[in-house]
Amino acid sequence: MIDVKDLKKDYFDEDNVTSALRGVSFSIEQGDFVSIIGPSGSGKSTLLQILSFLDRPTGGRYAFFGKSIDDMSDQELAHVRNKDMGFVFQSFNLLSRLSVYENVEIPLLYAEGVSVADRKKLVEDAVHSVDLDEKLRSEAGRLSGGQKQRVAIARALVNKPNVIFADEPTGNLDSKSGAQVMGILDDLNKKGHTIILVTHETYTAEFADRIIRIRDGSIENDEPVHKPRRSKDEFFK
Amino acid sequence: MRVKDSFNSALDSLHHGRMRSALTMLGIVIGIASVIILMSIGQSAQDYILGQVQGIGSNLIFIIPGGTENGRFQSPAQSQGILITSLVQNDVDALSREPSIDAVVPLVGGQADAIYGDNDLTVTYQGTTANFFPVRNFTVANGQPFTATDVAAYNHVVVIGSDLATTLFGANINPVGKDIRLKNTTFRVVGVLAPKGTGPGGVNQDDLAIVPITVAQSQMLGINYFNYIFASANPAYDISFVKSRIQSVLEQNHGITNSNKDDFTIETQQDILSLLGNITSVLTLFLAAIASISLVVGGIGIMNIMLVSVIERTREIGLRKAVGATDRDILQQFLIESVMLTFLGGIIGIAIGAVVVTLAWLVLSHVIATGWTFAFPLSAVLIAVFVSAGCGILFGIYPARQAAKKSPIEALRYE
Repeated sequence: MIDVKDLKKDYFDEDNVTSALRGVSFSIEQGDFVSIIGPSGSGKSTLLQILSFLDRPTGGRYAFFGKSIDDMSDQELAHVRNKDMGFVFQSFNLLSRLSVYENVEIPLLYAEGVSVADRKKLVEDAVHSVDLDEKLRSEAGRLSGGQKQRVAIARALVNKPNVIFADEPTGNLDSKSGAQVMGILDDLNKKGHTIILVTHETYTAEFADRIIRIRDGSIENDEPVHKPRRSKDEFFK
Repeated sequence: MRVKDSFNSALDSLHHGRMRSALTMLGIVIGIASVIILMSIGQSAQDYILGQVQGIGSNLIFIIPGGTENGRFQSPAQSQGILITSLVQNDVDALSREPSIDAVVPLVGGQADAIYGDNDLTVTYQGTTANFFPVRNFTVANGQPFTATDVAAYNHVVVIGSDLATTLFGANINPVGKDIRLKNTTFRVVGVLAPKGTGPGGVNQDDLAIVPITVAQSQMLGINYFNYIFASANPAYDISFVKSRIQSVLEQNHGITNSNKDDFTIETQQDILSLLGNITSVLTLFLAAIASISLVVGGIGIMNIMLVSVIERTREIGLRKAVGATDRDILQQFLIESVMLTFLGGIIGIAIGAVVVTLAWLVLSHVIATGWTFAFPLSAVLIAVFVSAGCGILFGIYPARQAAKKSPIEALRYE
């Protein structure tokens, strides 16, 4: 599903060039749960942004379902983000003035061929899957941090994407809420969604089947998690 | 993104910042209301002025002593204090023989005190012939107009305006048959005119005293020339033909061979209507143009607020782009928001304009100028709607483009 070869990302600032990614290569198959881990400034977030079509690489090749990012216009990238990708951010990125329903509905506003009736069902199903039915009409700004992140997950999965990108999804949460969020991501993976998780915590990363360690823009280590995958109950330990 | 969804999203955003939306709209509301009020009152004023001119008779031709400068319009010589005595009885007689003219009415006039008992009023008196009443559409509501016999016999009879009758006689005395003093001469009131309002030149036609021209010329003014001659065109003839015939007759009478040296000016009602129509239209447009300056100021206010809104909602833009919004979707959303803001402002402006125009109509028609008509031109409403929506597009496009151009990742990072 995801093929990355010698991927590079340089940032140009007047005369300075900063290399955030120095040629990384790997593949991710559909249904994988992959954690990308590394210290602050290692390039893991840059890698996630490129993988999720939010940014373009400055070198190397990235193909999503066989199609190179270089061959796609900004409009096509937006279309793929809407159809095949879901996003969970550390800071939730909910529109606080809108209700839970309206927040979860946002990706569907940009989807093609989804009727108003289908839209309603998809939103209700997504909110149900994160167990927030009773908060459907609540204003997003009034929810707790954990509830906000669950709303963000509902928004990420409302368009039934192939892959969900989660950038430090537990970073702003207490351990109980973090456990709930990781449990939901685990469940989604079991239902067939590919999960790509970026974190700086080894503990959270071990919820995945595979961990890609990144340092100074290069892959330091890419190996499967051999021990049994962590359950959400272990999050408290 | 469907337009309906953009519409709902814009509505939600405007609703969320109600106070700011209202203040932002204020500029457009004031601008549109000003344009509506000025265009409507301008239209009413135009209708009123033209109505007054039309009220003097559609086939009427005015012959004024004094020429024009190379055919260019100028005000009558006597209004400039120049005494011109070129129009005399011989002209009236010659014009009366012209088949294209139905009636010829000479006119002289001046100011005098009208007195009855202890009541007096300074009025404009006019000396004229019996034809004056039908030709000028003056109706006698009480009594009779004076006759050709009265004119020929130098009878001291007078027809007075309704306001003058009320001032001199009050509500309970019938003026007909009573004697009044006018410029030290006693006249018997034979008729009272129906109310007619203000005439061309701002003369209150309800304060007039109309006497036989023979008496006015010989006993009140001591002159043998006329201040004006009115000619009523025969409806069987084209008005411009009649105008040319009058010119020929008078030139022949005055021995003039070069038309540029005519010592008289001929104006038809159409000439005056056209001139006044042009003047009032230009004035209305001029006022509307001044009012539209506030629209531009209001539009800049909209642009300013929309730019602030784009900055404030940078992360929202980033999120929307992350989940699939294209540049066009974002542009559409912000543009609809600014158009809604100005459109709503336009509608409120039209409503306020309508209220003010109605109040102005009530005051003017009942207190100041009887006959002031209500005008709320559809063109002003359409212009207001299109201009307000146009302001939204014009002043919203820049902020909307700024929003659409934002990179999703930079927008999401924005603090």
